[in-house]
Amino acid sequence: MDLTGDFIAPSTDWYALAPYIVLLAGALALLLVGSLTPRWPRGWYAMLTALTAGTAGVVASLQFAALADEAPRSLMKGVLAHDRFGLLAVIAICVAVIITSMMASDAAGLDGAQTDSLEPFSLLLVAALGAAIMVTAHDLVVSFLGIEILSISLYVLAASDRRRAASHEAGLKYFVLGGFSSAFLLYGIALVYGTTGQTNLGGIAVVLADEVTLPRNDAMLLAGVALLLVGFAFKVSLVPFHSWTPDVYHGAPTYVTGFMASLGKVAAIVALVRLFVIAFPARADDWRPAVFILAVLTLVVGSVLAIVQTDVKRMLAYSSISHAGFMLVGLEAAGHIGSSSASSGTSSTLIYVVLYAVLALGSFAAVSVVSQAASVVGPTNATSLDAFKGVAKTNPVFALGFTVLLLAQAGVPLTSGFVAKFGVIRAAVSTESYVLAVLAMVSAVIAAYLYLRIMVSMWLSESSSARIPLRPVARLAMFVTVAITLVLGVLPTFVLRLSDTLATLVR
Amino acid sequence: MLAASSSTIAFPVLTSLVAVPLVGAALVIFFGRIRQEWTKLTALLTSVTTGAISLWVLQAFDSSDAGFQFVSQHEWITAWGISWHLGIDGISLFLVVLTGVLFPLVIAGVDPHHDERPYLAWLLVLEAGVMGSFISLDLFLFFVFFEIVLVPMYFLIGGWGYDQRVYAATKFFLFTMTGSAFLLVGIVATALLSRESVGSVTFDVVALAENGALNVTQGRWLFVAFAIAFAVKVPLFPVHTWLPDAHTQAPTAGSVILAGVLLKMGTYGLLRFGVYLFPEASVWARPALYTLAVIGIIYGAIAATMQTDLKRLVAYSSVAHLGFIVLGTFALTDQAVTGGVMQMVNHGVSTSALFLLVGMIYERRHTRQIAELRGLQQVAPVFAGFFMIVMLSSIGLPGLNGFVGEFLILIGSFDTARWWVIVATTGVILAALYLLWAYQRVFHGEVDDANRGFADLRLREGALLLVFVAIIGFTGVYPKPMLSRIEPSVNALIEHVESRTDYQRPAQGEAGK
Amino acid sequence: MTDLVWLVPFLPLVGGLTLMVFGARIGEPRTGWLATLMSASSFVLTVLVYFDLLGMPAEERSHVVSLFSWIPVGSLQIDFALLADPLSITMALFVTGIGSLIHLYSIGYMHGDPKFSKFFLYLNLFVFSMLALVLGENLVVTFLGWEGVGACSYFLISFWHTRESAAVAGKKAFVTNRIGDWGVMTAMFVAFSVVGSVSYKAINEAAQEGTISRSAVSAIAILLFVGACGKSAQLPLYFWLPDAMEGPTPVSALIHAATMVTAGVFLMTRVGPVLAESYGWVPDTVAVVGAATALFAATIAVAQHDIKRVLAYSTVSQLGFMFLAVGSGAYVAAMFHMVTHSFFKALLFLGSGSVIHGLHHEQDMRKMGALRAAMPVTALTFIIGWLAIAGVPPFAGFWSKDEILLYVYADNRLLYAIGMVTALLTAYYMTRQVILVFFGEARWHDASGEHGAHGDFRPHESPKVMLVPLVVLSVLSVVGGGMQLPFSKDLHFLGHWLEPVVEEAERSIKGTWADENKYVLLGVAVVVALAGIALSVAVYAKRRLPAVEPTVLENAWFYDATVARLVGGPGAASFRGVTTFDARVVDGAVNGAGAVARGLGGVVRRSQTGFVRAYAVFIALGAVVLLAWFVWRGWLA
Repeated sequence: MDLTGDFIAPSTDWYALAPYIVLLAGALALLLVGSLTPRWPRGWYAMLTALTAGTAGVVASLQFAALADEAPRSLMKGVLAHDRFGLLAVIAICVAVIITSMMASDAAGLDGAQTDSLEPFSLLLVAALGAAIMVTAHDLVVSFLGIEILSISLYVLAASDRRRAASHEAGLKYFVLGGFSSAFLLYGIALVYGTTGQTNLGGIAVVLADEVTLPRNDAMLLAGVALLLVGFAFKVSLVPFHSWTPDVYHGAPTYVTGFMASLGKVAAIVALVRLFVIAFPARADDWRPAVFILAVLTLVVGSVLAIVQTDVKRMLAYSSISHAGFMLVGLEAAGHIGSSSASSGTSSTLIYVVLYAVLALGSFAAVSVVSQAASVVGPTNATSLDAFKGVAKTNPVFALGFTVLLLAQAGVPLTSGFVAKFGVIRAAVSTESYVLAVLAMVSAVIAAYLYLRIMVSMWLSESSSARIPLRPVARLAMFVTVAITLVLGVLPTFVLRLSDTLATLVR
Repeated sequence: MLAASSSTIAFPVLTSLVAVPLVGAALVIFFGRIRQEWTKLTALLTSVTTGAISLWVLQAFDSSDAGFQFVSQHEWITAWGISWHLGIDGISLFLVVLTGVLFPLVIAGVDPHHDERPYLAWLLVLEAGVMGSFISLDLFLFFVFFEIVLVPMYFLIGGWGYDQRVYAATKFFLFTMTGSAFLLVGIVATALLSRESVGSVTFDVVALAENGALNVTQGRWLFVAFAIAFAVKVPLFPVHTWLPDAHTQAPTAGSVILAGVLLKMGTYGLLRFGVYLFPEASVWARPALYTLAVIGIIYGAIAATMQTDLKRLVAYSSVAHLGFIVLGTFALTDQAVTGGVMQMVNHGVSTSALFLLVGMIYERRHTRQIAELRGLQQVAPVFAGFFMIVMLSSIGLPGLNGFVGEFLILIGSFDTARWWVIVATTGVILAALYLLWAYQRVFHGEVDDANRGFADLRLREGALLLVFVAIIGFTGVYPKPMLSRIEPSVNALIEHVESRTDYQRPAQGEAGK
Repeated sequence: MTDLVWLVPFLPLVGGLTLMVFGARIGEPRTGWLATLMSASSFVLTVLVYFDLLGMPAEERSHVVSLFSWIPVGSLQIDFALLADPLSITMALFVTGIGSLIHLYSIGYMHGDPKFSKFFLYLNLFVFSMLALVLGENLVVTFLGWEGVGACSYFLISFWHTRESAAVAGKKAFVTNRIGDWGVMTAMFVAFSVVGSVSYKAINEAAQEGTISRSAVSAIAILLFVGACGKSAQLPLYFWLPDAMEGPTPVSALIHAATMVTAGVFLMTRVGPVLAESYGWVPDTVAVVGAATALFAATIAVAQHDIKRVLAYSTVSQLGFMFLAVGSGAYVAAMFHMVTHSFFKALLFLGSGSVIHGLHHEQDMRKMGALRAAMPVTALTFIIGWLAIAGVPPFAGFWSKDEILLYVYADNRLLYAIGMVTALLTAYYMTRQVILVFFGEARWHDASGEHGAHGDFRPHESPKVMLVPLVVLSVLSVVGGGMQLPFSKDLHFLGHWLEPVVEEAERSIKGTWADENKYVLLGVAVVVALAGIALSVAVYAKRRLPAVEPTVLENAWFYDATVARLVGGPGAASFRGVTTFDARVVDGAVNGAGAVARGLGGVVRRSQTGFVRAYAVFIALGAVVLLAWFVWRGWLA
């Protein structure tokens, strides 16, 4: 007899799923082939990883372009969103993977003890897959799935430097606390589902929008929202859920830190925005104040803590926190649902995180280069401020590049960093949250002090170390990030023209 | 109104004012690598070219036209209503010329002690930034230049300054950036709040000023935001303390540029944006600004008197002088504002020259401590002579440039800010006090062994100073060409204020009747 | 001819600039001759202009020559314009005349000075500035000269700049003058505000026609008087003048006796109508300040030992007389005395200079005496000057001083009395000086050895180039009185000449007791003068009476010292206070903010223990707070 008749397989838009599939395939291929074949020559793993991510990125870009005249839609019975908002994030993620893989092989290459192993690279791809799912997830459960895929691979990556105890410690810390936060997340999902009977973001929104279907127990729903916020706040590392960040960022291998700061941030913030803007617009008045407070805390604490650090990696960790604060400023603007310019909040947040991702990649690449050179010489802390002393004397071009990235993080004009800040501030002002805007800018000034300190030790201190050897991959990574920073800084139109279409999410 | 008349011409003159130095900076880096000896030459040529262009602008400037001239407007960030909009009017004209003239002089006259290549490159980038902020007619564009200037200046102070340089550079950077924080929010808010009245979101200064209709509260808040940023730059009391450190620690060229043109970005900003965009607010805020200005005049002078370091002394004198300019700017009479604009240039010339002279003293004696200098007039009469002339211009001796501006400011402000002027005029006494006292201690008296070897002016130094003295003398005796170019724009600006507020210019000669 | 009046100041300017550039190359003595030539030729020009004006009818004797538009902004139109009228030309005449003589004298006096040509550069610039001051058509041009002479006097006082005292004195003079300048500037502001112009014509007319409020008029007048007090060394700002004697003696003669210090009197005369139209207390203040200064300075002069300081204080005193006249509305008398005074005071200074020169820069009268034999010409001319200032008829000083006292009597008896006492003292201390310097026994033998004077020390007469000016000036001091004789209206030559300028302001004393009995007053004046001389002779020549030279007078009533203590004490303290405030409080706040941020960071940083459990606690706490908030919101709904 023929049973197939009853079973209607979901009609799958394979092309739309291509990026995920490519990433997954790449990861598996790398694992299988790599482990079955003898060790490959150095850099080939990285090349394959980059190739995979590149392919995924290209496909995503094509889809992104195609969406210019198509309406965004949802895939797989509406569990995945297929909109420009998500796709731009996916592209950013792929870029992150490419550059990170370069730095990974560079790091492995310069370290005399061992040539590069393949696990990190496959993990990069897996993490990318998780991130890609997060940023497009249109369903709480799927979103959680993505989060876990990403997190677990990050735990491992963080601990992947076998020689440094700090690395193991970081991995473990991250793992324990990550699990802790996931619990909140999961419980939040449960509560929301319990009150609305929905896990689909669109579905939740519909339920909450309608007087009839409105859940009896509002407190329970909002408790769910609160727990969801906690879960994501941890991933985005908002104060007071940030405390893992400096330790983990510091302990993890530098290229991994860059990966977390870029890809991790993108995934988390985009997922958070999508969740709140799509699922809980009806409850905006409840969550906006919370976001406001979190934003202020994150901005101030992040920048204030940043300036007392003496270790560049920790500095950048804290600066990544205060950047997260800026992103929340955008989310706060997006929370003014009534206002016409709420959408500019959504898009400016995305643009901010994407542009920041590039900066983070570049900055940590620079740190990684310097710290490797320093660790060869062999001081106890290879990423301390002293390691950067007089770099400008020995490697002027490199120093200039890093300086550009730092200035961009400080938000100096003609850099992408300024464009990002400007967009967010613009959104905040247009929703008339002037206080937040000023606070953000002032905290940016405080944070600027930290970038200045790094610049001082590079340019204005006497050189102690010898010239730092720069391998082509590192050069390329730096060049690409700096180029993006400057080009988008001077001619941001290309990015900004997207901003309206970016804000049209799948409902 | 101001927007009405604006002559566009084929060659993008103003754009080149920004582009040439930038290209020059790139070339300096490039040539410096292949041919060390070309570096200086390249920098000099580019800066001279820029100066020549600015002078060409000066002679091509139509003094009968109060509006913006040589306007060039191109699309830039259309998504945000930002355009590359440049233009010059009587208010910015001489600041541009000053910038164009000052940089070649500095590059030719002062050599760095090390790393010539990056030093020159930074200087040229700085020139581009300063030029840009004086000619941009788009708020966003202005902010970009206003902010980008920090970077080269930071490196110039930090890289080629004296022992406290890092502290000074950082202080300078953060201080100004804090002001900019408010400025940025203010700029964005201005553009967005005038969305309806202007028709679209635009950062175009002219459009915003002519069509923008902010209500009183908005206007005042925004004015305050702008004023904070510019007050830091001017600097006004009590946010002036970055200046003495920056001046003292900066290399001579840095101090010269800082005093010569950088500070003017503050006063210029107050006039061009503060008054032009927020007439109601600037009329409303006048008492506060008068008071701060006058405090600055007296306070700066008193502080200058007690300084033991020549550079700090000059730095504090700048605080006093710029107090005069702010007073004039907000007195909103033809004489006061015109005098204010002129004084921006005068102070630029005189104080730059003073810093050059102090720099030369340092080159010879490796100290700026007044106590360690003595009887220099005996061993270096020519040097002393130049110092005396520049000093007298700074004191405001009639017949030299300093007097004209100061006098116009005070006489023009008397009707609108009577009591403040009466107090401010005592600053004239103090100016004589601190400068003459310093002169007496440094140049008079019997020369001691430490200073006996003090060499008199060298040819290059003399030539350099001669240019300044020539300007000082000419503008002091015959300021008319300058005034006649400044006045129409100032007049138009004040009319702009009058048309939007209940403020009316006092009619001199009526008061007593 | 009158149109060429601009050449009058222009020539010395050219001279000055030439010396500025080529001075070193031209060298001594040609620089001196060049400068003198420039000054002399502008004197000749002035004379020509004078006769040109004389040829015109009285009411047309006011000629404006506008060179170029100087500071034109809106309603403020300041031309660089010169005004040739009886008043300004009178000033110009004796400025250039005496100026030239002193140029000439200086060629001899400054002989061998390393900065010889510099000296003449400053001298020429001074003459230019002084001429700009007197010829200015409006307050601003006058102010240009006003500041110019101030600067030149600064250069010349501290001419021997290696001497600490000279440097200090120069600075003191400039700064003190600036205090006065505050008044002049503010007066200009008021004038522009109420009149809409700064030209003398406009201001004076506005004052007369009453188009501006009386209080405004008074404000202008009193503010200008503040400036006059600075320039003309009146109380309370007089104290810079005695110190100004640090400069070379010709400078003291030219700037600090004959010309610059009279600028204040000139200014008040120039704006006479304003003074006349202002509230009564304004001219009264002028008169009282003048009288007080006159007496005050005279008492000090009695006990001075430095030959130049005596003259300095006497100058202050005489200037007081002029202001007394101005305050009593006697402008002609003031001008009259100004001119005669410039004759005999320049003469006396140059004479003292000749003495100092002859004694190798000895200035202490206690080390002089019996010099008439050694330097006859100097002695003779000096004695003429003495008689002139002492008010002995028929010398110039007698007539001018008497004219002033005449008006003062009509105005206020008390002030008249003060004037008389001053006259007495003047005669007394001048006689004292003459006796101490030229008579009695020679006290300069023990001075040999000092001042690098070699072996057998003999005072010597000065060279011709120095004596010629002395002779010329002494002649003027004799006949100077002729320009305004009291006997009949027709003999009021100066009065008639100045009439078009001062008539509106000039107070008429027709029919007052003073006018009818002016010969009585003349007699009294003579008696007083002779009494003073007699007294002095009795004390210093005959030694019948003990000399009264209390230290309090020798130290100028400790006025200068008190001022110095105030400035050096509380003044400096407050300045230091402000500076400390700036460093500690204002800048402290800035650095404090940074410290706070860093401190805060340090505190919060402690939470970064590195212990997972601690982190978990934070997360939990944060979660609780968030939950609380949302749940609370939930209950509300």
